[in-house]
Amino acid sequence: MARQSRRNFLKAAGAASVGVGLAGPFSFRTLAATDPGKAYDYTSWEQFHRDQWSWDRKTRGAHLVNCTGACPHFVYSKNGVILREEQSKDAPMLNGVPEQNPRGCNKGECGTDYVYSPTRLKYPLIRVGERGEGKWRRASWDEALGIIADKIVDTLRTEGPDTISVYSPVPAVAPVSFSAGHRFAHLIGAHAHTFFDWYGDQPPGQTQTCGVQGETCESADWYNARYIVLWGANPAQTRIPDAHYISEAQLNGTKIVSIAPDYNSSTIKADSWLHPKPGTDVALGLGFAHVIIKENLFDAHNLKEQTDMPLLVRGDNKLFLRESDLVEGGSKNRFYAWDLKTGRPVLMRGSWGDEPGVKPAVQPPFLARNTLTFADGTLDLGNLDPALEGRYRVKLLDGTMVECRPVFELYRERIMAEYTPEKVAAVTGVNAGLIAQTARDYAKARPAMIITGGGTGHWFYSDILMRVFHFLSSLTANEGKQGGGVNHYIGQWKPVFVPGVAALSFPQGAGKQRFCQTTIWSYVHSEAYDGMDKVGIDTGKYLRHALDSKQFPLYPRNGRDPKIFIVYRGNFLNQAKGQKYMLRNLWPKLDLIVTANIRMDSQALYSDIVLPSAHWYEKLDLNVTEEHTFINMTEPAVPPMFESKTDWQIFRALAKKVEEAAVAKGYPRFYDDQFKWNRDLSTLSAQFTDNGKFDNEEAAAQFILDTAPQSKGITLAELREKPRRYKSNWTSPMKEGVPYTPFQFFAVNKRPWPTLTGRQQFYIDHPVFFEMGVELPVYKAPIDADKYPLRFNTPHSRHSVHSTFKDNPLMLRLQRGGPIVEVPPVEAEARGLKDNDWAEIFNDHGRVIVRIRIKPGEQPGRISMYHTPELYMDLIEGSTQSVCPIRITPTHLVGNYGHLLFRPNYYGPGGSQRDTRVEMRKYTGAVPTPL
Amino acid sequence: MTSSTRHRQMAFVIDLNKCIGCQGCTIACKRLWTTAPGLEAAYWMNVETVPGRGYPRDWAGRGGGFDKGRPKPGREPTPEEYGIPFEFDYSARLFSGKRDRGRPRAAADWAPNWEEDQGAGAYPNTYFFYLPRMCNHCDRPACAEACEAGAIRKRPEDGLVLLDPDRCDGSRACVAACPYAKTFFDAAKAKAHKCHGCFPRLEAGLAPACVAQCTGRAMHVGFLDDGAASVHKLVRQWGVALPLMDGFGTGPNVFYIPPFIGPAVEGPDGTAGAAARIPDNYLASLFGPDVRTALRVLRAERRKRGRGEPSELMDLLIGRDARALLGHLQPHPSR
Repeated sequence: MARQSRRNFLKAAGAASVGVGLAGPFSFRTLAATDPGKAYDYTSWEQFHRDQWSWDRKTRGAHLVNCTGACPHFVYSKNGVILREEQSKDAPMLNGVPEQNPRGCNKGECGTDYVYSPTRLKYPLIRVGERGEGKWRRASWDEALGIIADKIVDTLRTEGPDTISVYSPVPAVAPVSFSAGHRFAHLIGAHAHTFFDWYGDQPPGQTQTCGVQGETCESADWYNARYIVLWGANPAQTRIPDAHYISEAQLNGTKIVSIAPDYNSSTIKADSWLHPKPGTDVALGLGFAHVIIKENLFDAHNLKEQTDMPLLVRGDNKLFLRESDLVEGGSKNRFYAWDLKTGRPVLMRGSWGDEPGVKPAVQPPFLARNTLTFADGTLDLGNLDPALEGRYRVKLLDGTMVECRPVFELYRERIMAEYTPEKVAAVTGVNAGLIAQTARDYAKARPAMIITGGGTGHWFYSDILMRVFHFLSSLTANEGKQGGGVNHYIGQWKPVFVPGVAALSFPQGAGKQRFCQTTIWSYVHSEAYDGMDKVGIDTGKYLRHALDSKQFPLYPRNGRDPKIFIVYRGNFLNQAKGQKYMLRNLWPKLDLIVTANIRMDSQALYSDIVLPSAHWYEKLDLNVTEEHTFINMTEPAVPPMFESKTDWQIFRALAKKVEEAAVAKGYPRFYDDQFKWNRDLSTLSAQFTDNGKFDNEEAAAQFILDTAPQSKGITLAELREKPRRYKSNWTSPMKEGVPYTPFQFFAVNKRPWPTLTGRQQFYIDHPVFFEMGVELPVYKAPIDADKYPLRFNTPHSRHSVHSTFKDNPLMLRLQRGGPIVEVPPVEAEARGLKDNDWAEIFNDHGRVIVRIRIKPGEQPGRISMYHTPELYMDLIEGSTQSVCPIRITPTHLVGNYGHLLFRPNYYGPGGSQRDTRVEMRKYTGAVPTPL
Repeated sequence: MTSSTRHRQMAFVIDLNKCIGCQGCTIACKRLWTTAPGLEAAYWMNVETVPGRGYPRDWAGRGGGFDKGRPKPGREPTPEEYGIPFEFDYSARLFSGKRDRGRPRAAADWAPNWEEDQGAGAYPNTYFFYLPRMCNHCDRPACAEACEAGAIRKRPEDGLVLLDPDRCDGSRACVAACPYAKTFFDAAKAKAHKCHGCFPRLEAGLAPACVAQCTGRAMHVGFLDDGAASVHKLVRQWGVALPLMDGFGTGPNVFYIPPFIGPAVEGPDGTAGAAARIPDNYLASLFGPDVRTALRVLRAERRKRGRGEPSELMDLLIGRDARALLGHLQPHPSR
């Protein structure tokens, strides 16, 4: 047996090499050492490696950073030291698609590093130098919280609660931690901040079209697509644990098209690459629509049933024809189509003016209104045949005749005239034939999916593009289809069990919570300059109107300045657009800046008091995402290191301190006029814990699970065993083993979309939309308010999760030791720059001095700097956000139009940053010399 | 004889169509095995962008391996070619008020992934892909051949090439001899070291860390003679998994599915042409002349799936169940 086996071995070895026989000199040592008959002397070294891979404790772990991975892990520790983590690989399989496991990435596999990092916050610190200088004195928790509590009570008394705010993003990744500070804010009257919109990740165009905060399929559904357009999305870098579904779909025969200016890490694997000039994507999309309509590749029935395309628009004032136009006492929120069968205008069912038979008990915050209790089939056309084309004369109440046309005809007219492939080619730089071919392939493949992300979502006119994506998807009846639809992935925005998070965060109800739209707060209080006067858009006019008419809130009210800013598990300053204005104008207004975090990030560095919080492996929390439908958890592998506390413990302790300070200062209660709420600070601690019910994270986490219908019945004990799937979801049913696809309640069950018209709505007859010329989604050139030659792109990096892991030495060793900007060869040559030179990048808003990497795949005319390195990293000056201003899109300020209304993180301006332009030149000043 | 003393060969297959260059394997390996002081510059597993100079820099041109069966002299890479690991003094800036930023303490002019995403060609016809590289656990390991101390052996039960530091005399001959530059020298301990195939994990029936933690699900492992293992099918049956630079004569046991998907070359008018963007000759320089056949087979099988027809090969590469990539091994520990 052994001899036989050995002969085979040798034979195989010989066969694999050319011209090498057994007599060759190579073989002697190897084979001698390999003789199976000769026992090998096992010595200690092998045991050494076995010991390296050993542990005495294995716990559940998750990475509670602003990442959409939500990757279930195990954390391995020994003798109270965390050694490493590894994916738990136990997310259950779904039907017909490859499994999720192992979800993870380069950052996730060294999450332990932050536990022992030199940037780790170990104990409370009080600033002794200037803000940002990094000079501190160590303080006790008692002293630090005491100072904060005193200041809070004094500020409540003299300035009012609305001058205090609490900022913490992304509840999905750590809902208990998130809730801790918000619960505290809620009970003292401080205002909370939005974040999804402020980061530019909330897709206003999807809200405009679909009446939802945002929705996507889970990444497993990508595998079900037969055609995928990666449009401004680079999942190989930015959705690392999900990217395998693209490759696997591709191996399964699915065609992949990448639309991106640069030849990026996902494009390299695409079947086809379209590289439009940055910001011209709407023209490209409408070029596709042109071909699809012209060649009659669209699904007219779907448009009639699901969209506003058949709704009649008045020729005289361009408004929808409303019931109130024709019927005495008729609704302004019911709309007509022209029925070809009866030759009359008919009211289409399911609009904002219609009420469901069963009144909804709850208003979910992610839908403009709850249309889910409408009967199935409400949108079904029955005997109607609404016209998509033609001109129809209608007699108004006052007897005048007005000519009306369906939305589709208005839109089609423009698409056919303005977006021929040839015209689009001239705008985008994409070959006309390629445009036509791509359009045909997309329209003919079923199902076909558009996957999009930050590449399209962060533009000033990003909403128009999202509307066009949905239009393409509706033209081809891909909405709500497994493997179809429009799926945007940017921002960690989907805590499916949001009712549980809200109940824990806002015990008296979200209606009694002050929310401030952070983009507006930042823009106003930092007195940011946006340069929009250069392109004739008066941001102030739209903003004043939105605020004066109370369509959007701003705190503090009545032009006062904010006073106390409490930030936890968020790097506000580092990520802030208009960073220069923040530091120059907003920071001096703040009497007290408090930051709680696991590490000294830039926000903490520029704070007055810094509180050390527990690492993700030192506390219990839940962890979820929109990328998959499994709830996973983290739990303490070790107790919080050094003097750190969990966020829950921090705010519980702070509540106690505020209670003590309020009593000591003789300010135990105050009346909060805005909510008619007699706030009792003297019992704050008991309110925070609900009389001891929420003493710890475990109770809080289980409360979230129990309170949300989407997770009711799931226990922490079950999650310790393995990740569990949601029981229900936002806009589609959860089906056993079936990947989640959104919008099926509307597209399949035919309940009304939660929009003004009850349909996917592409025509928005609002004055601001008319003024901006975007009542229909048509191409608008990027905002070139910065009169500089280069487009400045700030994509996400594979080596960091926003700013987290940016400073990790393991990650930096796999990069260039610091931040870089990627420059096309031609732009570098034109400026005398060589690879790894220092370059100065500047515009009217600021300057960043950074090393360059020549990237042959970057489109000439653009440079790309991975966004938001820390302000203490290897740059000579500034950071990405130094040159990116806050630019508010007027249509995002509309809050008085059916489904367009302010609700936290549901709809609001993001501030955009892709339209930024800069110049770059060789930096000739002193450069740092290595030690 | 027990089966453990049979000569068997463990092999790895890396699907370059699924590798996204995320460096998850690099970190999984590094965090598990090479964290000790003195090992900072060593990456038993690394992922480099090709075309490029790689890690260590210009590793492919240093010699080593065999020439017509005789050991070919090789040159040990310099510390600069590996890249001097960046160190940072954050605490001075963040906690002591030192003014300057947290910068790399060594000159930042080379690193293991320095040329990430650069590649070759002029816009828009640029091209690149990711190439994960680890010890090839060769049939004829040049490292072992070069080791006078007899510290390196190819063990019979799975063909792993293991280095015994207790026997290592610090001669560095193995470092110079490995044509893939995957034997390393720890100057602090004056011992060589290298990938040991995660043998402690194998003993527990568990896949090596690079494979088990590959989130791209791009890596396969298993015995080459195990008819049920995906590595066997891809290497032996389908012939689509090819060794890297076989001309070194060592008989590598890490095999690659060549990149067969990607946008075609673009004409001057912006139309897509017919030619593949990555030149076949370039792929042949990495994976040998058989790569042309492999590419043909892979493309044909994918087209079948595009038509809705079955393809065993595509199913193997898709690997719906993660265990299907792992031969006889398991994805996670039972402990």
